[in-house]
Amino acid sequence: MTIAPKNSGIQIAASNQLNPFQAAGELAQQLGHEHLGFVLFFCSAEYPLEELATALGGAFDKVPMSGCTTAGEITPLGYDRGSVVAIGFDSRVFAIETALVDDLEHFDLSRAQPLVDTLLERCRQQAVAPVNEHSFALTLLDGLSSREEQVLATLDAALGRIPSFGGSAGDDNHLTHTHVYANGHFHTRAAVVVMLNTRLPFEVFSTHHLEPLAHKLVVTEADREQRRVLELNGLPAADVYAALVGCSVDALSPSIFAQHPLAVYIGGQHYIRSIQRVNEDASLTFYCAVETGIVLTAMRPAPLLLDLEVMLQRVQQRLGATPSIIGCDCFLRRMALESLQQLDQASALLRQARVVGFNTYGEHHHGMHVNQTFTGVAFGALPTSGG
Amino acid sequence: MALFQLAADSDTAADNATLREENRRLRKVCQALMERVESGASPNSAPYAAFERSVLLAEQVRERTDALHRTLDELSQVNARLLAANAEAEAANLSKTKFLAAVSHDLLQPLNAARLFASALETHALPEASQALVGHIGRSLKDVEGLLGTLVDISRLDAGVLHADKAPFAVSTLLDALAEEYRQVAAVRGLTLNYVPSSVVVESDLALLARVVRNFLSNAARYTEHGHLLLGCRRRANGLEIMVGDTGPGIPEPQRKAIFLEFRRANQSQSGHSRGLGLGLAIVDRISTMLEHPVSLTSQLGRGSLFSVLVPFSVPAPNAAPSAGASPVAYAPKALPGSDRWQHDPLQGCVIWVIDDDPAIIEGMQALLGSWGCRVRAAATVSALEAASDGERPAVLLVDYHLGDHRENGIDLAARLRRRYPGLATVVITANHEAALKRATREAGMHCLLKPLKPLRLKMLLGTLLENSA
Repeated sequence: MTIAPKNSGIQIAASNQLNPFQAAGELAQQLGHEHLGFVLFFCSAEYPLEELATALGGAFDKVPMSGCTTAGEITPLGYDRGSVVAIGFDSRVFAIETALVDDLEHFDLSRAQPLVDTLLERCRQQAVAPVNEHSFALTLLDGLSSREEQVLATLDAALGRIPSFGGSAGDDNHLTHTHVYANGHFHTRAAVVVMLNTRLPFEVFSTHHLEPLAHKLVVTEADREQRRVLELNGLPAADVYAALVGCSVDALSPSIFAQHPLAVYIGGQHYIRSIQRVNEDASLTFYCAVETGIVLTAMRPAPLLLDLEVMLQRVQQRLGATPSIIGCDCFLRRMALESLQQLDQASALLRQARVVGFNTYGEHHHGMHVNQTFTGVAFGALPTSGG
Repeated sequence: MALFQLAADSDTAADNATLREENRRLRKVCQALMERVESGASPNSAPYAAFERSVLLAEQVRERTDALHRTLDELSQVNARLLAANAEAEAANLSKTKFLAAVSHDLLQPLNAARLFASALETHALPEASQALVGHIGRSLKDVEGLLGTLVDISRLDAGVLHADKAPFAVSTLLDALAEEYRQVAAVRGLTLNYVPSSVVVESDLALLARVVRNFLSNAARYTEHGHLLLGCRRRANGLEIMVGDTGPGIPEPQRKAIFLEFRRANQSQSGHSRGLGLGLAIVDRISTMLEHPVSLTSQLGRGSLFSVLVPFSVPAPNAAPSAGASPVAYAPKALPGSDRWQHDPLQGCVIWVIDDDPAIIEGMQALLGSWGCRVRAAATVSALEAASDGERPAVLLVDYHLGDHRENGIDLAARLRRRYPGLATVVITANHEAALKRATREAGMHCLLKPLKPLRLKMLLGTLLENSA
């Protein structure tokens, strides 16, 4: 299961071996070459993570790696579960540096700026490509840390003009433990910042398939620390939401959340605020920050496949025929596809567009923590002479 | 906009309870919105506020950041162009300096030969009128040589190729010789030179320091009409201050800085005596900066001027007293030309070998050394020399350092010859003023003289060498 396009600087491998050592061995066999400079991977949270860390460390020796756990993987064949997908970067085409942020509570600008400066300086020393205009940051965050907004906004301020995107780690919808991987270990309540400096043309993108409805809900009581909305329009939140979608509170489930999202409207754009779960007290917990007094707009899904296809075509037009894409795909989108029985069609689209990635508990785009989007980066081919 | 999806649509059935409930909810909504509106105006670190800020940043600030970055890019491009222009200018300046050094160097060679011929000619029996003309030629050549030397020095200093070769020496070795030289110069101008000797050991580059003090002395002699000159030293806490005073016109305050610049001379009316380009003190300034010896000037109009240079004391090394073999003999205390030395002239009849690849120099040397009574064997190569010398042992070897591009240098050649003639006194002659070369000759136990060759200095050195070997 290897796709190794000539001179693209990117190699993809995947394994669905359950044994972490066999999985790591398969990946290393597919990716290993003398110019392998960095490995990015996304793995199912079902792996015994400590063993997987040991196995990967052994299999890839001293090659630096980063990654995170998922709510599903996107392999070269499309959507998958219980597997691990890895991307190998050629050191002749990419200069990649990473940093672990393990104190999310105190990540302010005075920490973010030196972190970004150090990463850029290390990339610059490798002299692969000019740092300006040829770099972007990938962020991987513990998806249950509830610190995404502040960390991403702070990081974005430090990054300045450098584009960024990323995803929050998942755990196959268990909502208990999500992990990011850096420096040879898996970490919780942590973030990994990966700075990629490359000679390849690239484009960071984000898309969603949702349209606004007329209904508005005002958050009249919220617990911002817990990301919980207690009341909408002065009534218990779950009751109001259930009435809005036309089902009983007991019937509320992730698949309902996926099909009936809510959004805030800022600066002429709608940004989805996804519901994570219904609590005993009829409050709703969200995947992202909420606040008393925000106005939520009811949204309805437009055809997801069409939106995905249009977006992929646009990227292809801009970057050339067959770009490689790393995608962070909200797990609610996957859930919507599953309930519509369109997962295979979506897999085909992703496969054709050479997308690999994972299903997230939230996506990151230019410092914003967003939900229910498909966000990522597309790489074009080396300009000319690549042969 | 349907804020309340459950709003009652039949007002006929509306009872008080429903209205009260709706009223409560509306109040709650209003309250939440007001809270939100009010908190939105204050700087807020809450998570949602951070998200909102990021969104707005994406919309507005990023545009402005882009504009700013474009401006920065333009600035850095302008900067790059300026740097390129600057580099070009520097390269042009450097090539000018190199050109000047090369031209000066090439001029030195024929001038050197001319000086040798003129010196040789002076010793011939000539009609008095011719004798005077030869004297004029000699002095004119000497002036040209001085000017050229100054130009070479300035260009070398500017090009950074001149490096200090600091070593400890007794200051008397320098000042005794200069006092002797300028006593005569002063006498010609009707002045007296008061010299206060000192035996303090200082650490400096002897040749460069000599240039500084010599410049002070020649300026003093040039601008002083009546009275006397002073050469002496004073111990200071941080070194020995070598001072040159005069009873000249003095230098007005506004000019005191300017005279250290090129092509400036105080008191332009003194044209009768000034032959320099006004480069003297500019050289002093450069050399003293390079040696890190501060120069100072005090002056009183109508009373005179006092130039001085502060030279650090030598830090005595445990067991490395300035050894005889390692310091230029001409300046070593024991080798000072005593007046009695010339009574039995050691140069008479001694065998001197000269190796130089320039036929004009060979001829000139033969004429000059011959006029001093030496038996000269001169050739371009060792084999030619040995063929001409009938197995005679040479007393002194004079060898040109640069013997053509594809041949060994003078030091190596001399070292080879000295294996055959152990202890052969050797003088390497070079137009290369680099300190490294001077050091190399010193380390090889040889002596070094710079072109243009000063006949008097050569004679003194030969005398010392021959006396030592005798």
